[in-house]
Amino acid sequence: MSDQNFEFSDLDRSIITILKKDGRTSNQKIADMLNVTTSMVATRIRRMEQAKAMKVVAVSDFSAFDYNVLLPIGVDVKGRRANDVAADLAKLEEVAVVQLVSGRHDIEILVTLPSMDDMSGFLLEKLSKIKGIRNLDPSFAVDIIKYDFDVAPI
Amino acid sequence: MRNYKIDELDQQIITLLSEDARLSNRKIAAELGFTEGTIRSRVKRLEDENYIRFTAVTNMEHMKTPLLAQIGIHAEQDMIKQVAEEVAKFSQINAVIILLGRFDIFAIGLFEGLAEVQQVASNQILDLKGVRLVETSLVVDVAKYDNRVAKIVHPLSEYSLEFAAK
Repeated sequence: MSDQNFEFSDLDRSIITILKKDGRTSNQKIADMLNVTTSMVATRIRRMEQAKAMKVVAVSDFSAFDYNVLLPIGVDVKGRRANDVAADLAKLEEVAVVQLVSGRHDIEILVTLPSMDDMSGFLLEKLSKIKGIRNLDPSFAVDIIKYDFDVAPI
Repeated sequence: MRNYKIDELDQQIITLLSEDARLSNRKIAAELGFTEGTIRSRVKRLEDENYIRFTAVTNMEHMKTPLLAQIGIHAEQDMIKQVAEEVAKFSQINAVIILLGRFDIFAIGLFEGLAEVQQVASNQILDLKGVRLVETSLVVDVAKYDNRVAKIVHPLSEYSLEFAAK
């Protein structure tokens, strides 16, 4: 749980702007750019991280883990709470994102697979073993135009 | 497109950095039993080859009324790419994916409340030339979100140029 009382200062926002561009910019360089001391930068970053207001991460391309097939799938649930089905889906390694939604479906998932050859194993051995799934509405990602999640659940 | 295929050491480095991107090369080297120089050149190559990017992620709980929404778009078949590019221009939209199946375009956005979702999805996107139908789904809860993986769309050079311009 994040510290809800935490508020970003102007200095925090300036630091975040720099870190969004390059998360590995050194404290020394950030300090020089913002005209503050290195220890102030280090303290603010630590403070933001501790409050779970911000974290600096390496984001890797899907291909770095050899995920070449991306499938956004809508899931309909019956006879079981959607939360419980979502929790089971979240345990599967191939499922990168699980969101409970209100709309046409109950749950939206993003499945990542190395290749089409992995599809049958995933569908028949894993997905179909989860109780409470009534229907799947699958699709293939053909092209990714934008993928930019710099604000996210932490 | 890429000259280099990553190996096991690269993946180990990525895994460590995906937890904390500010780990020093020295610490990674000690952890994995390699020299600092090896780690430095690996990290540089991963970045140069667009396998990895380091960025600050802020917690959406610190927005006033954060609302994630997924917007499915049906478009005229000969205008899918143009529509996708227009949709990508909205600052609230984080992801735009061209699909085969449920929709022609799948967009995911982070909004300040329901009114903004309505404004962007039902007014602005629906008004774009080539858009036939828009279907919105609101995210109520996130059960899993793996922010280790994403699609790195912009090559590194564009990032540095953009930054230099500011």
